[in-house]
Amino acid sequence: MNPYILAILLFGLGLGTTITFASSHWLLAWMGLEMNTLAIIPLMTQHHHPRAVEATTKYFLTQATAAATLLFASVTNAWLTGQWEIQQITHPLPSTMITLALALKIGLAPLHAWLPEVLQGLDLTTGLILSTWQKLAPFALILQLQPSSSTLLIILGLTSTLIGGWGGLTQTQLRKILAYSSIAHLGWMFLVLQFSPSITLLTLLTYFIMTFSTFLVFKLNESTNINTPATSWAKAPALTALMPLILLSLGGLPPLTGFMPKWLILQELTKQGLA
Amino acid sequence: MSLPRITHLPSGRLLSTILHHQPLLPSIIPLTVPKRAVIQGEYRRPGQPKKTKFAWQKINFNFSKGLEGIKKHFTLLKKEFTDRWVGPEGKPIVEHMLEQNRVVWEFRGPESLREWTVSSDREIGGHSEAYLKLGRNNNTCFLYGTLSSTPPRDGETRYSGYCTMRSKQPLASFDRKKHHDWSSFNTLQLRVRGDGRPWMINVSAETYFSHQKDDIYCYFLYTRGGPYWQDVKIPFSKFFLTHRGRVQDDQHPVWLDKVVQRKIPSQSDDKTDVSLP
Repeated sequence: MNPYILAILLFGLGLGTTITFASSHWLLAWMGLEMNTLAIIPLMTQHHHPRAVEATTKYFLTQATAAATLLFASVTNAWLTGQWEIQQITHPLPSTMITLALALKIGLAPLHAWLPEVLQGLDLTTGLILSTWQKLAPFALILQLQPSSSTLLIILGLTSTLIGGWGGLTQTQLRKILAYSSIAHLGWMFLVLQFSPSITLLTLLTYFIMTFSTFLVFKLNESTNINTPATSWAKAPALTALMPLILLSLGGLPPLTGFMPKWLILQELTKQGLA
Repeated sequence: MSLPRITHLPSGRLLSTILHHQPLLPSIIPLTVPKRAVIQGEYRRPGQPKKTKFAWQKINFNFSKGLEGIKKHFTLLKKEFTDRWVGPEGKPIVEHMLEQNRVVWEFRGPESLREWTVSSDREIGGHSEAYLKLGRNNNTCFLYGTLSSTPPRDGETRYSGYCTMRSKQPLASFDRKKHHDWSSFNTLQLRVRGDGRPWMINVSAETYFSHQKDDIYCYFLYTRGGPYWQDVKIPFSKFFLTHRGRVQDDQHPVWLDKVVQRKIPSQSDDKTDVSLP
């Protein structure tokens, strides 16, 4: 891709997320999300392969639907309460709609069906941006929302955790495995969101670091299915020796870093007396 | 206001008399519901019979067949759930990672012929014929027939003459589409004993847009025609992208994680007998 165009698109990505971070008005936040979507579309289709175009179209349609729902919910809230503050969504209807819209944005079950197919159609670098950077802006809004329905958040979290685990069971394509891993991790984040948002943020940051490492390892090995890392010891023996640690950390195995957020979430949930 | 008069419908006897005198009153809109082909504007080739039945009228409803179908689909669904605990595609992961080659199609009995569809240009009005049968020892299949390049006399077809055998798309429970995952492999190997003519090998992958419905990856199969069997190995990187038979300028490698079908067509310039055991 032309380096100037690439720079503009990456700048647009950064600007969109920053606008959403810095906004307190729903319209500005929505604008930041739209900028993110539009900036990543050319990055996704830069290879012009039919599968990349398919992935881009699916991504655009889902994100546009989520953005439209978000806009509708914020307008409904403005109509009902007379204000546009992000932290002042008090009416349950717009609050639920916004939660569902943001869940669709980030690929939370049961609105997750697009994520494995979209990630499978992309190259590893764009997949990395999709799995990490594109989740920052929606999460910034989710963390500011007043939870109207704790049941909804728990259902979304539990469903995502279960579906993320079940869906990734017999996958042989690495990008799809990472997509289901993303769904599962997002489920864990949502479970503890209403009880301790700081743990959600910690989980998100830990997830970013682990996913970043995983994607970069696969990019170095040029591996897209599970057979390729099995033969990468001849190419990069040190990296191949460390790869299991990264993958086990992503899986949440103690004593690796990936276990820490899960431990903290379980500890927080046991204190809540949810039974 | 004459609203009640406007809403008053004519009697049935009057309508039937109007119908009988239709040639005298061509401007009256027909009162029967037009057929689906007319509504949706389906193109009908000259010489093809008109479609007179709606799609649901062609279904043969049968209670026992329905019960068998339910049993078959639930059995497949249960197998999918249990296979998930075994490994990818129902095999242990070690087997999946260690396999160097995979036999996808082999002809060992009559049930193996049901996985293939044989067609020729007879479907579009041509005169070619193609048949598929098992070989003498039930270990091979034999595709044979006659190719005729005489185009059908429908005023629009200029070229004709093909016969093809195409594998059926694998289906999961409740007729959901399944795909072959050939991403662990890089070569297609065939054992054939041809008639000396050039054939083509087509591979098609799952597509999303209706524009890509006719996207096929092709390569040539040159057969020797001799009495000996020929082992043909074609790397997947050799396959080139075509759309409706035309080679595309914008070429892409075939993505092997969602292969749907394999096809072996043959074309000829004159009327010939073809065979491909």
